[in-house]
Order: sequence, then C-alpha cells, then structure tokens
Amino acid sequence: MLLTAGALSATFGLSSLNDSKLAGGAAIAIVILGLSWLIGWSGQVSLGNSGFMAVGGYVTAIWANHHTATPIIFSLCLAMLCGALSGLIIALPATRLRGPYLAGMTLAFSFAVGPLALYFPSITGGSGGLFLNFLNAPNWFLNLFSGPQALVQANAQWSADLSIVVAAVAFFFMANLFHSRTGRAMRLVRDNDVAAELAGVNLQRTRTLAFVISAAYAGLGGSLLTLLSGSVNSQMYSLQLSILLLTLMVLGGVGTLGGAVIGGLIYSYSDNLVSLVNKLTGINPTSSLGANLKGVFFGVLLILTMLLAPKGLGGLGARIANMANRLRPASMRAPTRE
Amino acid sequence: MGSFFSSRIMTDILGGLASGVVIALVALCLVIIWKSTHVLNFAQGAMGMFGAFVGMNLVFHGVNYWLCILVSMMAGLLLGGATERVLIRPLYGKPEINPIVVMVGFLGVIESAVPSIWKNEISTIPTPFSQVYYQSHGHTILMSPFVAFQIVLSLTVMGAIALLFRFTDLGLKMRAAALAPEVSRLLGVRVGRLLTWGWMLSSGVGALAAVIVSSGQSLAPSNMDGIFVSAFIAAAVGGLESPVGAVTGGLLIGVAESFALNFWSTNLAPLAGVIVLVVSLAWRPQGIFTRHVARRV
Amino acid sequence: MIFVNELSVSYGAIKALNDVSFAAPSSSITAVLGANGAGKTTLLRTISGLVHPSKGDIRCDETSVVGMATEEIARMGVGHVPEGRGVISEFTVEENLRLGILASRLDVNEGMERQFELFPILGQRRKQYASTLSGGERQMLAMARALIARPHFLLLDEPSLGLAPLVTADVMKTIDSLCNVEDLTVILVEQNARSALRIAHQAIVLHLGAVVASGPAREVANDPDLRHYYLGLVK
Repeated sequence: MLLTAGALSATFGLSSLNDSKLAGGAAIAIVILGLSWLIGWSGQVSLGNSGFMAVGGYVTAIWANHHTATPIIFSLCLAMLCGALSGLIIALPATRLRGPYLAGMTLAFSFAVGPLALYFPSITGGSGGLFLNFLNAPNWFLNLFSGPQALVQANAQWSADLSIVVAAVAFFFMANLFHSRTGRAMRLVRDNDVAAELAGVNLQRTRTLAFVISAAYAGLGGSLLTLLSGSVNSQMYSLQLSILLLTLMVLGGVGTLGGAVIGGLIYSYSDNLVSLVNKLTGINPTSSLGANLKGVFFGVLLILTMLLAPKGLGGLGARIANMANRLRPASMRAPTRE
Repeated sequence: MGSFFSSRIMTDILGGLASGVVIALVALCLVIIWKSTHVLNFAQGAMGMFGAFVGMNLVFHGVNYWLCILVSMMAGLLLGGATERVLIRPLYGKPEINPIVVMVGFLGVIESAVPSIWKNEISTIPTPFSQVYYQSHGHTILMSPFVAFQIVLSLTVMGAIALLFRFTDLGLKMRAAALAPEVSRLLGVRVGRLLTWGWMLSSGVGALAAVIVSSGQSLAPSNMDGIFVSAFIAAAVGGLESPVGAVTGGLLIGVAESFALNFWSTNLAPLAGVIVLVVSLAWRPQGIFTRHVARRV
Repeated sequence: MIFVNELSVSYGAIKALNDVSFAAPSSSITAVLGANGAGKTTLLRTISGLVHPSKGDIRCDETSVVGMATEEIARMGVGHVPEGRGVISEFTVEENLRLGILASRLDVNEGMERQFELFPILGQRRKQYASTLSGGERQMLAMARALIARPHFLLLDEPSLGLAPLVTADVMKTIDSLCNVEDLTVILVEQNARSALRIAHQAIVLHLGAVVASGPAREVANDPDLRHYYLGLVK
C-alpha cells in the first residue's frame, strides 16, 4: 500500500484539467480514508463526516481571510486540529451509541451543520460563503514550465502534486496506525468488545480516538478542498455529500487503503463516468433524466455493490487475487489476505 | 381565553404538537420496520414522497383529492413491499451496516430519479381544508382547519395501527414475527410474508405523511428530509423498540423544534432535535421506553 | 411415521450429523439420547427445516421434507417444541396459544378449550403474561402451543431441562398419554436418559453425530456398555 502512494506521485505529467481532478480526488480520498477507518476498523458507522469537512473548510477560509500569506502546512494542520476537536465533542455522546443510533445521530449532526453555519453569517459569510485566494504555485515551481499555458498549467500541477503529497503522508500515517497497538485494539473492539474490555482495553477511549482521528482526516480533506476551490459555503456540506462519501467508500472497499484511493479516483472522474453511461445508453444529457443521472447512477451502483460485492472494487480485486492464488500449485502460493 | 391560547408558550406548544403528530407518525413507521427487520430505513421519507408523487400529481388531472391520497398510499405500500423483497431480503444475516448503506443508496436513487420522471413540476398541492390560521381577539393561533385535520388524521392512523397490532390476528402474527421469528416459523407462521406486510404498512403510512407535509407546497423529493431526521431522533429518544416511545418522542421533538423556531431562528430547529437526542441518549442510551435488554456474552 | 435416511449435516468443517438413519413409527415415542453436542438438537432442527442437510432424506409419512421451508413443514403437521421452549414472554398464555393455532384452519376457541382441559393450570392463567409462569408451566404452555394445531408429528427438545424431578415425571406422563390418545409420532430428545427410556418405545443413541446404538427402549436401557459410556448411568 505504501508502494501505491509512491506510485501515485509518479503520475505528474498530465494535462491541467486532469490535474485539478486528481487534486480533488486526493482530497476526497483523505476523507474517505478517515471514514473507512472509522467504519471498517472500529466498527462505528458515522454519516457525519461531511460536517467535519465543513469545520475544516470553514476554519481554513476564516483564517485565510484574516491572516493572508499563511504557509499551507499551517492551514492544513489547523484544520486538522479543529476537525479533531469537533470530533471529540461529537464523540462524547456518539461513542456510547451503537449501530443505527450512531448512524442517525451523526446524520442529524451533518444535517445541522449547514443551518448552524447560516446562523453566524458574520463569521461564516452566510449563504454566500467565504472566498479565498486560489492556490498559487511558488516561483521555483513556475520556472519549471514554459509556453503560453504555463501559468495555468503550473498552478494546476501544483495543486495536484500538493494534494497527492498530503494524501500520501496521510495514508502513510494511517498504514502505520493500522499495524500499531492502537490499531489492533480498535479492531478488537470492533469484533468483540466484551473480550476487549476483559483484555484491559478502555472501550470509550479507543472508540473516541477512532472518531477523533476520522474527524481530523475529514477536516484535513475539507480544508484541502477549500484551498483548491477557493471558496466554501454551507450548501457544499449537505446530506448528499455524506451519501456520496459513503458511496465512494463502499465502492472502493471498506477498511482498505487501496479502497480509499479507488474512491478518490472515482470521485475525480465521476463526470467522465456519467458521460460514458450517457453514451452507452443513449440518454440525452439535457433531458430531465440526464440531469439527474449522476445521482441515480451512483445510488444504483451503491445498492448493487452492497448486494453483490459488499467489499467493493478493492474487495473484488482481493477475491480475484485469491482465486488466482489457488490456481497455483501449493508450493507457490502466497498467504491469503483478508 | 383567546389571549391564553395565543400566548407565546401556548402557540409554541400547539404548533409543536401539530408538527409533532406527523413526526410521531413517521417515527412509528421507522419503529415498525426496525422491530420487524432490524433495518433503519433511511429511505423512509423518500419512499413516502415517491408515493405522494404518484398519487398527488393526479390531482392536476382532475382526479378527486381523496382518491389521490388513497393512490399515494397504495403506491407507497407497493414500493415498500417491493423494497423488502428485492433489497432487504437478500441481506438477512449479513452485517448490520449493509442494509443501512443500501437504504442510503436507495434514498439517493429516489431523490434523483423522482424529478427526472416527473420533470420538475412546480405546482402547489391543494388542501381540502383551509390553511389560514384562526384569529381570536386579534391574535393569531397556530391552528387552522388544515392543522386540525392533520392532527386528527395522524392520531386516527396511529390509533388504527395500535388496534391492528393489539387486537387482530395479523397484528399478533406480525408481533410474533418480530419478537421470535424462529419460534413463529415452527408454528407455521409465514414470517417472510409478514415482514413484507410490515414494510408495506410502514411505507403506505409514510406516503400519507408525505402528502400531509407537502400540502400547500409543491412536491419536491427533499420535502421529507427534515421530517425523517426529526422522526429518527424521536424514535431514538423513545427507543427504537417501542412504538409508544416513538409517538411520545415525536410529540416531544415537535414541541422542542417549535420552541427553537421561536426563540432562536428557523435555521436552528434541527439543532434543537439534536440537543434533545444527545441529552436523552446520555441519560438513557437505549431509549426512554425500552425495557432493559441484557447483553449476550 | 418419520423416516430418516443417511442424514448428514455440516457446519463448515464440522460434521454435526454423520449418516444418521432411523425410523420413528407412528403412535410411538422414539427417544434420541446422547451427551451434550452429540447432534440431538441438530437432528430435530434439520427435520423442521431450520438446518439444511448436506446429504440424506427425511420423510414424514411418505412426503420428503428436505428443502421445504420451516413454516411449510410446520403446516404439514410437524409440531416442534424447541430447546428452551420458545415461549414468547411478551405475550399472554392465550396469545401464545392463539399463535399456535392461527396457521391451521382449526377453530380457535375449540382448540384453546381442549388445551385448557389437558392443562388446567394454563386455563387458570390464560390472561397472564408468559413471563410470569414457572418453568413447569412454561413447558406445559410450549407443549400446548405445539399441540393445539393437532399435529401428526411431535418433536420435543429436552422438555425436562431445568425442571424439578417431580415436574419432569409429570411432563413425561403427559407425553406418554398424549401419544396414545392423539396417535402421534413422537421424537423425544433428552439428556435425562432415565426418564426418557421409561416412556419411550424405541431409542437411538447419538455420539458425535453418528448413531451408535438403536433398538427397543428396554434393550437400550439395559445394555451395560451403553448405559455407562453414552447415557451417563452408573455401571
């Protein structure tokens, strides 16, 4: 998985349009990873990560508007911190809940975040939202480019590379966490919390930690998205976003690093996918069906995935790998992966 | 008398009860589905709206209003039954998160598919009773003929459901199928069929709620989103296993939101619900009305 | 008559039943004995369709029930009192009984009166919630509920479990007389071999999923090896 992160960094030579898509995808991948972690590894279903994204996004925008020329790393870390903090607040009641109660409570939270933002228009810019400067590539980077499109290309490339690097770092940390004692404790809590308690694991603390990390990642992703798009407003963080996150996570594969990457990629190229479907089925994109196709398409995809391949595309990949494995003579088999 | 009824508190309470009664209705539907199939139906509101779309659009073609309501309920009923058979049945015995995700996906599908089928018609749904608020001594009471109708209808439906479960054989079988499915099977009870009935009942009533909510407005698939969240909160507060809890929770949330509406602003009404939820779950995590359930070790 | 032929059931890699064959004649009680984990409950659950066999056949009076849905098997006339009785605590005695008869076309009131005659205590407690009943009363309720639909076959899973010896004796006596009166084919699973063998006509002994002995009840009861190794009776 670490190799995957490294390989991604190698894909630098793309057009500017692709770059900005990848950038967005990388940011979303971070959020998905956080969610995947929470749901897949600690067994807590949360629909509220869009709310934490909002926290990260707004914090970044507000800070940028008051303090120009902040180093990017600072903004991102600040967003992560605020995400983590809000995660902590929500985690206090949330971690005492199970299954559907937790899902519903986090849903209510994500529902309430939008109106909450609207309530403080002086800080949050009301329904219009806030704006900040686009991410501009530093001069040393600009000098690498030449030609008429240099500025645009450079900026797009910079956004993409930056996002990918940030994502790679985030994924790296997550991979380490997975193998650490904390990670193992979390998986134990997920599978059998009575046994975990008997083994001396503090249930509350472990669950809360999982929640906080997930929220921090969401905040990071949200902040990155805000930096990339240059704006933030309350409509961005809706119920639809929570659904989208869930969909992408499931499609990619719950609880795997690779799955989050796949999810991010799907997000980046979702419009392309939809046009492809349009072409294949001959649906007119301007008709009312066409306009809503994206929602229908992803909803149906989510349902089909859950019914047929609950481990997502990543899971399918693993299954194929397992099958190929079994076809080899026993001496050459690799140990099977979960 | 008039000034008592129009005092701020009374207005809030009345208004709260009016909306609370509809929330309670939807919460009851959620509890029925939860008790029988252990699924939290995230698409409850959207499925209801689907039914409302099917039925209420006929009003514009001159069909009798009451007939349209019936058609809406039938459409909801059929959708509910189909959903249980096609989407939920295959998932019995699998991890609990699967049906949640499927219903969330279904929610997305309905909310996107509906406008494409009905092509974004923006017309207001007529109401059989006036929605103009009563006046007394120059004060406005948050009660109109339509609101009264809303309350009476919701209470009647809830009462009918209660009677169904308590006193009919079908209700007995449905309760048994929910409480002890295996034992019921051994007694020859066709559990699968009853679970489908549960979903049908729930979606049919959901459609009725959607019609009530949409009256006086235009039909939009997201009309029920807010109610769903409130209804979920109500059911969670009362305890997902308890129909009485759902109804009480619904009224409670309705009143809480009403107060929030008045003292804060429109925007924070859902937040009031969240606060009630957090407080109540901190106090009784399994819901106020749930009897203590022992954990299996 | 229930006819079981080469029945095998696996839970993953574990074989719960291994080539089990026997016949339970009508108007008689067949005891199924063996230690914990021998596969006795699995056998009954397979007959009722709650578990699918990997191999073998089960016939109730000529009809093969393998692959049929549990509720359809029950409607065919197979009554089953499961392990733990399965009495619904949230229902009253009456509601439990009512549930038992709804699937059949029999008259509800008549059925209830019959059961109250058989088990007068239930008649006294008819409006009470099942959670308030004692162990022995619950056993009676569970049996009445299985009997109210006038089954032809009756599967009983450890009816003596958790009951005092006197109550157990009572329960066994009832089963015995019922078998004669109602012309039932009874399969009685029991760990309490002594009380079961007293009323059974024939018996089979299961050990780790396989039949290790079968025959008339008296023979099985008197075989010293069997008595010691499989039935826990003193040599």
